Amino acid sequence: MDRLNFINPFGVRYQPDMVSGDFYTKNFAKGAAENTIILNLGPQHPSTHGVLRVIVELDGEYVIRAEPVLGYLHRMHDKMGEVKTPWQFLPNMGRVDYLHPIAWNWAHVGAVEMLAGISVPERAEYLRVISCELNRISSHLVWWGAFVMDLGGVTPILYAFEEREKINDILQIVTGSRLTMSYFRFGGVCADADDRFLKLIEQFIPYLRKRLKMYKALVTDNVILRRRLENVGPMGLDICQRYGATGPILRAAGLAKDTRRDIPYGVYSKFAFPIPSGPTDDCYGRYLVRLREIETSLLIIEQAISSLPDGPIVIPKAPKPTFKLPAGESYFAVEGARGQVAVHLVSDGGKTPYRVKLRAPGFSNLSLFAEAARGTLLADAIAILGSLDLVIPEVDR
Amino acid sequence: MLKAIIDNIKGLYSLLVGLSITGRFLLSPRQTVHYPRKVIEPENMASYRGPLELVPGDPDPAQSRCISCQMCVRACPGHCLTVTKGASGKSPEVWLYDFTLCCLCAACVESCPTGAIRFSHKVYLVADSREALHLDLLGQLKSSAKQTS
Ligand code: SF4
Ligand code: SF4
Repeated sequence: MDRLNFINPFGVRYQPDMVSGDFYTKNFAKGAAENTIILNLGPQHPSTHGVLRVIVELDGEYVIRAEPVLGYLHRMHDKMGEVKTPWQFLPNMGRVDYLHPIAWNWAHVGAVEMLAGISVPERAEYLRVISCELNRISSHLVWWGAFVMDLGGVTPILYAFEEREKINDILQIVTGSRLTMSYFRFGGVCADADDRFLKLIEQFIPYLRKRLKMYKALVTDNVILRRRLENVGPMGLDICQRYGATGPILRAAGLAKDTRRDIPYGVYSKFAFPIPSGPTDDCYGRYLVRLREIETSLLIIEQAISSLPDGPIVIPKAPKPTFKLPAGESYFAVEGARGQVAVHLVSDGGKTPYRVKLRAPGFSNLSLFAEAARGTLLADAIAILGSLDLVIPEVDR
Repeated sequence: MLKAIIDNIKGLYSLLVGLSITGRFLLSPRQTVHYPRKVIEPENMASYRGPLELVPGDPDPAQSRCISCQMCVRACPGHCLTVTKGASGKSPEVWLYDFTLCCLCAACVESCPTGAIRFSHKVYLVADSREALHLDLLGQLKSSAKQTS
């Protein structure tokens, strides 16, 4: 069939630009209107956090249209889950979201445990909470540094990395790696906490509290930052719920929703911790929520360390790498640094799962951008993009 | 009006606070490890996962503990390992490891029934070609046993 000269039964002739070109080029194929220009932000622009491409149409400095383009970092994690045994898929989980890998560890391991009916020893549950919360802090620290860097302040990211390296030192003791961690095993965790691990955490908690005060004086109260962020990019409850935003974005909009509280998993129900929400739904509000979440995580770690029970860290006869899932379906959600992280597993009892679906919060959160950025200044659009805390590998998977 | 003036004065003050913090950190000692003049202390290295190595046997350190059972080969998600059984007995003749494919996941280490594999702590490993990272672990084990004896 000649696609370019194809006339459909209604007598409509397909235009060449309707047949060729992807959705995004078609969307912008009309070209710029008079007095506007079309600009590509990314895929290699430093302020797009990895390989995100955003096409914007600008009238002067104002954004008329904005459209995120995905797919530059697509690695087929969902598909890989179908060709590997559940155990072999574990290391992938560290690579979906490199800033909060342990949440993804938990989502996958939790889905498998739910389907296979595996229980986890008490001590392993506590270690899971401790490592996950430490990892959440390190993720928020990188976001904090990178966000302030997007806005033009380069020094804070160096401070943030100082703290992050300390967390990496701690997590390396149990996970063996500093970035793409794969700590959880079906029915437990892979390494036990030693004295050095606990000692370093005990030193780290007061240290970070002191540093958070410094962060507040250096950045949070800074007049330039406040003027850049206050009343910029409001994302109310309505838009958040329409696009399925979760995590700090939803909480900044005033809804204290947190998977750790709503669908408690692990031993989170044993700890008392607040869910920070509000006060405003603009960029500054989202900024404050994340900084308060660091404090929340410290609170949880403190409680978990003080009540860490003794005992085994993995069940006897834990599943081996060749372990087969029973037939069935499971869905397990955890709270990641960016929102609800979830894994949906379908198994037909074969060697590998029949279908694996990863729910990445970043994907839903990014969907808000096109609407929130319309009509803002280009510099504000960058601030909005940064305030969404995007990790592109997770968005694209 | 008055509020705006006070706001601006407060804003200026916040800038001074920020500058003083930056100034203080300018005078604080360096936080990074300046390689190669300094290296990371071994305490921090003990848990680091470097490329795999074979555990020296007991009593002969040039002999591997491996019994060529192929558990690690089947467990590995990256197909990095090749273990071939020798003509006589169970000990392997070839033990190849492709570090370019390895994700350091420990599936092989955890599935080995004899504890024949472990992670090394070679953090400063550098190679100038792909082939240089196709490692012959049995050969490595033999040469390191020769060096120590
Ligand atoms: S660490 Fe993982 S990827 Fe590397 S050889 Fe062992 S099983 Fe394969
Ligand atoms: S699992 Fe251990 S014993 Fe079996 S082939 Fe691998 S290294 Fe050798």
